Amino acid sequence: MSIILQAQNVEKYYGSKNNLTKALAGVSFEVEKGEYVGIMGASGSGKTTLLNCISTIDAVTAGHIFIGGEDITALKPKMLAQFRRSELGFVFQDFNLLDTLTAYENIALALTIMQRPPSVVDEKVHEVAGLLGIEHVLSKYPIQMSGGEKQRVASARALITNPSLILADEPTGALDSKSARILLESFQRLVRDINTTILMVTHDAVAASYCDRILFIKDGRLFHELAKGESARKEFFDKIIDVISLLGGDDNDAV
Amino acid sequence: MMLSKLAFRNVRKSFRDYFIYFITLTVGVCIFYVFNSIESQQSMMVITQSQVTALQTVNRIMGIVSVFISVIFGFLILYANRFLIKRRKKELGIYMTLGMEKGQISRVLMIETVFVGAFSLLAGLLLGVLLSQGLAVVTVRLFAARFASFRFIFSPSATLKAVLYFGITFAVVIAFNVFMISRQKLIHLIYADRKNESFKQPRLLLSVGLFIVAAACLLVAYALIKDNGLSRIDAEFWVSIVLGCVGTFLFFFSLSGFFLKLISGWKRVYLKNLNMFVLRQINSKINTSYISMTIVCLILFVSISTFSVGIGISTAATGELEKITPFDASFRLRLSEAIYNEAGELIDFQNVPVDLLQELAARGIDVKAFAREYAEMDYYAPFITFRFDWFGEESVWQAYVVKLSQYNALLKLQGKEPLTLGEDEFAVNSAYEGYNWQETLAAYLEVKPDLVLNGRTLTNAGMLRNALEVSFTADNDGITIVVPDDALDGLVAATKTLHMNYREPADESEELCKAAFGGLDLTNDGLNISMYRELTTKLVVYEASRNTSATVAYLAIYIGIVFLIISAAVLAITQLAEAGDNARRYGLLTKIGVENGMINRAIFAQILIYFGAPLVLALAHAAVGISVAGNIVAQFGRLNILRDSSVTAAIVIAVYGGYLVATYLGSKSLVKTR
Repeated sequence: MSIILQAQNVEKYYGSKNNLTKALAGVSFEVEKGEYVGIMGASGSGKTTLLNCISTIDAVTAGHIFIGGEDITALKPKMLAQFRRSELGFVFQDFNLLDTLTAYENIALALTIMQRPPSVVDEKVHEVAGLLGIEHVLSKYPIQMSGGEKQRVASARALITNPSLILADEPTGALDSKSARILLESFQRLVRDINTTILMVTHDAVAASYCDRILFIKDGRLFHELAKGESARKEFFDKIIDVISLLGGDDNDAV
Repeated sequence: MMLSKLAFRNVRKSFRDYFIYFITLTVGVCIFYVFNSIESQQSMMVITQSQVTALQTVNRIMGIVSVFISVIFGFLILYANRFLIKRRKKELGIYMTLGMEKGQISRVLMIETVFVGAFSLLAGLLLGVLLSQGLAVVTVRLFAARFASFRFIFSPSATLKAVLYFGITFAVVIAFNVFMISRQKLIHLIYADRKNESFKQPRLLLSVGLFIVAAACLLVAYALIKDNGLSRIDAEFWVSIVLGCVGTFLFFFSLSGFFLKLISGWKRVYLKNLNMFVLRQINSKINTSYISMTIVCLILFVSISTFSVGIGISTAATGELEKITPFDASFRLRLSEAIYNEAGELIDFQNVPVDLLQELAARGIDVKAFAREYAEMDYYAPFITFRFDWFGEESVWQAYVVKLSQYNALLKLQGKEPLTLGEDEFAVNSAYEGYNWQETLAAYLEVKPDLVLNGRTLTNAGMLRNALEVSFTADNDGITIVVPDDALDGLVAATKTLHMNYREPADESEELCKAAFGGLDLTNDGLNISMYRELTTKLVVYEASRNTSATVAYLAIYIGIVFLIISAAVLAITQLAEAGDNARRYGLLTKIGVENGMINRAIFAQILIYFGAPLVLALAHAAVGISVAGNIVAQFGRLNILRDSSVTAAIVIAVYGGYLVATYLGSKSLVKTR
């Protein structure tokens, strides 16, 4: 198994010298290809900061992040956009679909901005739509779709470029439980069937229980790590709840 | 004062939002001042009495037009203000949650309006005072006056007018804001940016259908107006105008849908870069703004036509002067005697034979004293009628007949070769060249080459286009027939004319000539004789023409520029108002990895299309309009379409392009900051 993502001692400080906030105080971990990894933590624990650093939206203060062997902390701003669109796929809590475009066009956009030939674009859109079961909504506009459909369209957009890594930030946050389940199951299928790598930030224990492995973050540090192994989802879920109560604080709203 | 502090901060903070508003106000005030201060420019030049009158006329016309212009500007300012307030709803909501009363919020907005208004008024007036110094140079040239000396000119009356008119407008804006605030509910203000999106599914096939209907409407409208030629305000004219408006509306209503349908089928273009995003973006926007685009297009059309035709008339008027003034002066005299029957009723007028030069000499007037050379021409009217269809109507012309020798003498005065005619030949002279006149006349002569005069049959030997006297316009000069001298034996001339070229210095000769003919009275020689006399001199024609053309040019530029600014400002304001929505979309594009360059190109493409579409259609309208109006302008002289259009194009590109660039930079920075 090859390592897709490697974080080495990542630190991120905000503020000035005499008013310093350490959002990330030395985080290190690795994600292998074909892994479905969850990141959990309380509000303010630094999980979103970590995701922003990995997604190149924010820059680290110290440390290194390697994606597919490339040190993204050393990339020039001009290369970052290119890197983002070819190596990373994004799924956001609020879908972030363009309201003026149909589902088909939203998905296709990810390829057209990479100047892929139109024939390839059309073929790929139908392929990923099939994987995520959204072929019936391709001609609809975001406003005509349900939340679950929107999130799967967003996932298709993230997936279509064959990224090394899909970053999902609270993807189920705005979904009802049924839509959430369908989405999480399709994530599992992507990992299992086409060996996709997914890194998902969530504070929902149910969503986390679909992952292979979970990293818990507290006060900007890696607090605990939990692997699913051979355990069933229910069992894994119970373990997650245990860790959350250990973490204390305000994450008791899980479940 | 807390409130005024808050107001100042707001203006400074939302400077970018206010920028287009401020610029438009400033330019508006500036233009208003410049065109209302034309009269005061006369202190810089040496001018004649008639030019003083002309300047006063210009000023009066500008004054009247300015009322109308300031009302239009008032609407523009209200429109811009509405957009500014809309964007700040959430901010106003926060003030209310913090416990500010509506009265206080209104006061903050009032202070802001007064502040921005006063500032732009001041800036506009300063700019206007500067510009009017430069315009004075143009005025001197337009009126062909002499430059006296440079003097700093400032028009208190124009300043007062600008302050008054724009002050009223700002007062209306303030009243509008107070009214608007009083009606707002806190909940709506706070959730202003979370309004439910009203989504309309684009109906692309309908768009394609409507686009074809729009094109058909416009083509029919063009054909009708071409046929009408602006000569009659009749049903055809109105149908054309209505179809033009409806066609324009449908055009913008369906344009983006039509192109979306067209290009989405063309995958190679549609699925490239951000093309589909840009097209969708425009489609979603035009779907909500086709009415403003229609209005902008029509305003632009008026603006471009006013410019071109106005500048055209003014240059044509000057360009044609040489042609309509072949001599330094022309004198025209008709003596007729009233004939009564035995009952004392008037039954006829009879031409009275007179020898003009002899009569003048008898009154001690020596033509040679002011004329270097001169020639007489007698016009006979022996009821030779030309009857033909001209411009869709039957046209009847009574031709005048002149002697060959006199005709040739006139040609000699103009330095032209003499005409030769056979014993039984005649020639037709008509200088007018508009409306297919020459062709119609030639066709008529082709069919009827003979005429009978004094019992003698003459045959047409050709057509000439010589101007035969000094006149004010290049209007239709009718038909003059040149015949061998002896063909007119025994007839009495209806009108006598005398044409002169002055001795140097022309100024003095002009005065002598005016004195000589002005006081001429030949009626006391006999009973019942009435006299018609008219002296037209080159100098008078030139001055009158310059006065007219200067007035027309000022009016055209004033109205044209104001309309141009308004249309560009409306587009800019609506674009920037939507920048909030767009910023969200562009932020999203950045997240999925679109480079800044590509985003900037997409923004530019959008703004270019948004500004370009109304301009292109307005240009098409104007091209048709100007080509039709060209026939009307031809009465003032021939239009130099190319030259006049290039002047117009330069002004349009400067103003419209300026707004386009400002909008692009504004949108770009709005997108960046979010």
